[in-house]
Amino acid sequence: MKSIKLLAVFTALMLVFAACTSDDSGDATTTEADGGGDGGTDTTEGDDVDLTQTDTLADVRAAGQIVCGVNDGLPGFGVVDADGNYDGFDVDFCRVVAAGVLGDADAVEYRPLTAEARFTALQAGEIDLLIRNTTWTATRDGQEGANFLFTTFYDGQGMMVPASTGFTTLEDLADANICVLSGTTTELNLTSVFNARGIPFNPVVFEDNSQLRPAYEEGQCEGWTSDASQLAAFKSAIEGEGGDDQFIMAEIISKEPLGPVVADGDTNWAQAVEWSVMATVQAWEFGLDSSNIGSYSGDNPNILNFVGSDNFDPGLGLAPDFAVQVVEQVGNYKEIFDRHIPAIGLQLEGSPNNIWTEGGLMYVPPYR
Amino acid sequence: MTTTRERDLARPPLWRDVRVLRVLGQVGAVLVVFLIFRWLVGNLLTNLSRLGISTSFDFLFGPTNFQIPYASEFNPRAEVWQATLVGVKNTFLAGFFGIILASVVGLIVGVSRLSENWLVSRIATVYVEFFRNIPPLVVIIFFGAAVFTNGPFPLLRESWELNWFGTDNAFLLINNDRWGVPGFAGTGELGLFWLIVGIGVVVGAVVWRWRTKAFDATGQPHHRVLWFLGVVVAFFVVGYLATGQPFEMSWPALSENRRRIDGGFEVNWGFMSVTIALGLYTASHIGEILRGSILAVHTGQSEAANALALTAFQRYRFVVLPQAMRIALPPTINQYLNLVKNTSLGTAVGFADLTAFTKTSIGNGRPAFQSILIMMAIYLSFSLVISLILNILNRRLQLVTR
Repeated sequence: MKSIKLLAVFTALMLVFAACTSDDSGDATTTEADGGGDGGTDTTEGDDVDLTQTDTLADVRAAGQIVCGVNDGLPGFGVVDADGNYDGFDVDFCRVVAAGVLGDADAVEYRPLTAEARFTALQAGEIDLLIRNTTWTATRDGQEGANFLFTTFYDGQGMMVPASTGFTTLEDLADANICVLSGTTTELNLTSVFNARGIPFNPVVFEDNSQLRPAYEEGQCEGWTSDASQLAAFKSAIEGEGGDDQFIMAEIISKEPLGPVVADGDTNWAQAVEWSVMATVQAWEFGLDSSNIGSYSGDNPNILNFVGSDNFDPGLGLAPDFAVQVVEQVGNYKEIFDRHIPAIGLQLEGSPNNIWTEGGLMYVPPYR
Repeated sequence: MTTTRERDLARPPLWRDVRVLRVLGQVGAVLVVFLIFRWLVGNLLTNLSRLGISTSFDFLFGPTNFQIPYASEFNPRAEVWQATLVGVKNTFLAGFFGIILASVVGLIVGVSRLSENWLVSRIATVYVEFFRNIPPLVVIIFFGAAVFTNGPFPLLRESWELNWFGTDNAFLLINNDRWGVPGFAGTGELGLFWLIVGIGVVVGAVVWRWRTKAFDATGQPHHRVLWFLGVVVAFFVVGYLATGQPFEMSWPALSENRRRIDGGFEVNWGFMSVTIALGLYTASHIGEILRGSILAVHTGQSEAANALALTAFQRYRFVVLPQAMRIALPPTINQYLNLVKNTSLGTAVGFADLTAFTKTSIGNGRPAFQSILIMMAIYLSFSLVISLILNILNRRLQLVTR
């Protein structure tokens, strides 16, 4: 009888809650419609809830550090070494933002996150910034309360198989087990591409790559699908550690633009992060790198603005010399790329990640 | 003077009346809980709406868009609630078979611990100390990695086939990914057949009661289990023949491309890892509960059984165990509940249970808050249903004292 009562109480609570939810979601939509995208849309909804506009930029400056959500198990993008130091392409962009906003690239607290936990952490304000090989999609932009910023890496999903199998197309994998990480866009792409082509398959789903890799190497999965950059990283890791030769299929089955993400609703913070990140590409375009940006002595007015020599301040909430801090402490885009990405077997030349003047997609708005 | 005495006799003032204070205290407690709950929910809803995140449950009727592992019959275009049901089914199956395994092994271990045979009792002791001192997650990962992924079994395409004696039909396909066992494939009208079997079960129950009554009245041996099974089997056979043999044996076989198992039943490595690991883990706890319960039965009962010249088996079966069961059932219910909840650890070996499904679903853009609320509600219902069933059983087993 006790359990019946408990069940009844629980059902009642659920009903009460459901009633609350539908009420408030109605409110929320009207508020948003009224506000029309303007900054100050906040209206107090509940009488006992204090609702203040978040100002992450001020919070971050007060705290003296940014909390950055990263990957801790992806070679090239985010890994932890034996001493507990974070390193990688994404990690460097956390440092870029810290250098731009706070003037100190080391003022970062890293928070390793799983693919599934990342947006919740961002929504809850647990992290200020998410740079964790996260693909920009419409659903995530719209439903996760996430604000995607400048794409730092153009990636695409590929398929890796052991070279000895001789498989070259997805059709060769009909009915096969395919290893994939759960809660990723990769999983959705895998399903939609295979279904669209009518290829049956069985996903074998893991939470992180440390569990997935043994299953793939032992042959439990015949294919491993992920972003091509990740596959390249694991291909070199497996071959480097004496494993079988691996083959990455030429076919890229999706667009995966990866970049920094902040929570919706804080435009100032988003702008500060975005321009800090874009400064690395702008510096590259100007031919400035960590060795020469501090000693620029030319008379190009655009570059003089960029290095803040006349205290030029476009009003982004960043110090006039933020670009110098970013590039001196971390480097320009090419330096960051060269530090991490060629090591996992991907080249800058010919890839979309090259600068626009060389035929790539790295193009930033002018800094003036 | 008189006034004081009158006040003493009258009821104390309201703020000192213990009955009033008790009621007020309870009302206050409920109010505090309610306000905290309301504050938490209000906080959450405000923050979600600030971020523009929906709090509706409409997402349940959108397409799932991802394939569920080892569920080839599942169409990724199906709605999210249908996919949730697949997760619920897997959680249920792991819990169900896990409980059976845990009960059987637990009983053996519990009785062995008390065995007078030195070797048997030591083996049981080592078993208990080994399993109950390891976190269940580690046991699951051990089974997943050491028995299946990196274990001794061949790849799916090179499966070992154990043939049924003297035929080409495999009754067991073994590999490190999914095992095939014989099953049944429907070829005709199954509804009518199951109806007949259902009637058989009802008739069997009636026969059971008749035998019980006959036993109570005359003391003749009742053999009610045999009677019951006999009736059900008879209906089964008659139903099978009468409806034109509506199903046939289906043998597992590797498909042409050696990547599928066609026919029979298929169990995947995640399911086996979770079920076996949790079954063995929980068995160590149940074994200890049983040992304690057997020891709690008064020695006089065993002595009386010996005095009646019952064999050791009869002593256990008819005297000791029935009394031990009464003591053991309540703590065993807890272990069953733990086992069902622990199936959520199966994500570590890629088992597509309710938790794995929910996490994947959240990662693919479904709202986290509502998804987790639904998951909690489902686990809670599982647990409440198990407690309900076992509490009813428990009440029936308790001694009727007057």
